[in-house]
Amino acid sequence: MSSMALYSSTPHFPSLSPYSKTHLPIHSFLSLNPKRDLLFVSVRAIENGSGFAIVENEKKDSEPEEDPLGNGGPTAASLEDAAVKFEDPKWVSGTWDLKQFQNGGATDWDAVIDAEVKRRKWLEINPESSNNDFPVVFDTSIIPWWAWMKRFHLPEAELLNGRAAMIGFFMAYFVDSLTGVGLVDQTGNFLCKTLLFVAVSGVLLIRKNEDLDNLKKLVEETTYYDKQWQATWQEQKKE
Amino acid sequence: MASVALKSFVGLRQSSTENHRSSIASLTKPLSSTQIHYRRLNVVAGKSSPKVTGRNLRVAVIGGGPAGGAAAETLAKGGVETILIERKMDNAKPCGGAIPLCMVGEFDLPLDIIDRRVTKMKMISPSNVAVDIGRTLKPHEYIGMVRREILDAYLRDRASAAGATIINGLFVKMDKPTEKYKPYVIHYNSYDGKAGSAGKKVSIEVDAVIGADGANSRVAKSIDAGDYEYAIAFQERIKIPADKMQYYEDLAEMYVGDDVSPDFYGWVFPKCDHVAVGTGTVTHKPDIKKFQLATRLRARDKILGGKIIRVEAHPIPEHPRPRRLAERVALVGDAAGYVTKCSGEGIYFAAKSGRMCAESIVEGSENGKRMVEEADLRKYLEKWDKTYWPTYKVLDVLQKVFYRSNPAREAFVEMCADEYVQKMTFDSYLYKKVAPGNPLEDLKLAVNTIGSLVRANALRKEMAKI
Repeated sequence: MSSMALYSSTPHFPSLSPYSKTHLPIHSFLSLNPKRDLLFVSVRAIENGSGFAIVENEKKDSEPEEDPLGNGGPTAASLEDAAVKFEDPKWVSGTWDLKQFQNGGATDWDAVIDAEVKRRKWLEINPESSNNDFPVVFDTSIIPWWAWMKRFHLPEAELLNGRAAMIGFFMAYFVDSLTGVGLVDQTGNFLCKTLLFVAVSGVLLIRKNEDLDNLKKLVEETTYYDKQWQATWQEQKKE
Repeated sequence: MASVALKSFVGLRQSSTENHRSSIASLTKPLSSTQIHYRRLNVVAGKSSPKVTGRNLRVAVIGGGPAGGAAAETLAKGGVETILIERKMDNAKPCGGAIPLCMVGEFDLPLDIIDRRVTKMKMISPSNVAVDIGRTLKPHEYIGMVRREILDAYLRDRASAAGATIINGLFVKMDKPTEKYKPYVIHYNSYDGKAGSAGKKVSIEVDAVIGADGANSRVAKSIDAGDYEYAIAFQERIKIPADKMQYYEDLAEMYVGDDVSPDFYGWVFPKCDHVAVGTGTVTHKPDIKKFQLATRLRARDKILGGKIIRVEAHPIPEHPRPRRLAERVALVGDAAGYVTKCSGEGIYFAAKSGRMCAESIVEGSENGKRMVEEADLRKYLEKWDKTYWPTYKVLDVLQKVFYRSNPAREAFVEMCADEYVQKMTFDSYLYKKVAPGNPLEDLKLAVNTIGSLVRANALRKEMAKI
């Protein structure tokens, strides 16, 4: 459809790449193309696991580069995106073929996670038509919970526990120096236990300065709709 | 005394879910002892209002959509002199056109105004994970797709048959009464069926007004009802080849993703002989055309070879107006802002609110014999808020949680694959009741939801690193 050509003139580049910020005039097709090729090239490179960072491609700014694997990326002339779909040898029938992720007998879940991340990144930049003949049926819950824990939760938990321990140590020292109550006696005191609880939850909830604002906004957000509904009753109370 | 008054309130609510005709009939039964009882105990409400002499109560319904049609019918059946003013009788409104199953029963809709019965839905995530929902539907359950011009005309004709006067005209303004029980003066341009003419200026006096004139309500403006945030819904009607149409025989699709809409969803809904492809947004209205192109791209393979036959757009309210009622003027339907979040559903709530408002007027005026007061109309607001607040709140929470970002949408589509979710979703959509469900399953659902959200957000953090 001709609307597809129109679509390719309004790319939806999210926060990904630094050079997408060199703003491209939306209405001019030709000047758009070299950059678009580069983006395809760079994301393809990622997808094929060659680990090219986007930063590297910045220097090849003004000329279309050949795809390193010689798959023949889109040339400057072809505006139609029909050829550019997400493809990966490990992506079979709409899901990741776990047999191809074996590493010494066991499935390398980290590699599966990486592959899915690349796929989602690709699709975010180049949304594709959903097709009934090739349905996507991948479900992230096939990756076991401990793989998620190991990769995402544990590093952050380590960080937060470290912070909590440091705060705990210095608070205990501080209280001891002020009141003379030692660490063992502090753990028996209700006030100290309360302060400990506050410190632990503080570390969990407020990790950056922005989190304070986020929490305030969250509370406001949860009650905003209620306020809108109650508006018609508020004025009755005033009358 | 208070308990008896409460019982009568509950009684009204129960009878509204049955055939509403019987409830109106029971009000007119000449059981003098119970009537006196009723009057004595409800001194507070409009029973102190004067009797209307020599005529019945006159009510103007501005707007002839589902809200106006349902309100006019209920008023006319209740013995109130009703005038319905509609500016365009054959208005083919830009609308998804989906009505829940309960509407067919509650409003006695004939099955031939339903073009299609949708029994399957496909949810498609930003990364094109497609989930089919509808397995849990029973054979008699479906989502009805209607053409608005047909539905609206049917409800108006029924109101006319019940005794309402249908006028083709454009409401211009309203003069508020200066004294307590004086009438409102409605000024409108009567078209009298002549297309293109400016219309004849007509003024009428009425005792109460129901504003059912939609998202850009003039009645709302005249009572200073305040503004609401609104979404722009943009839709293209596309006629696709017959073999592609076969796929959409009884299936509707929902596309979610930042490309399609930052705070809503894109859809492909089947209509009588074509599909409606559209999207909407609240926060990024200037980019709506871009979102529409993205929606068409995502559905491209399924609508290939289609021709756009119509392009339309309309505002959709996001929440009720700050003031839905002033003296004897009440707002219903889109004019009041009764569109749900998350799904953007409005037809059923428009019709139901029109009916509820009319019922409260009929009851407050004792079938048109007494003047109504603001307190009688407030009863409609009370009943409405009490009955449907849980539905609206749940949908608001769902929208806030699942439409906020791509990871949330991925989690949303993943959750939709779960059978319990499907069952709960359809039950609450089709019957408009927030059913409590099985607590153990709810707990499992909560755990799975959190799991999905955590996984999707973790993937998103990794995506940001690339």
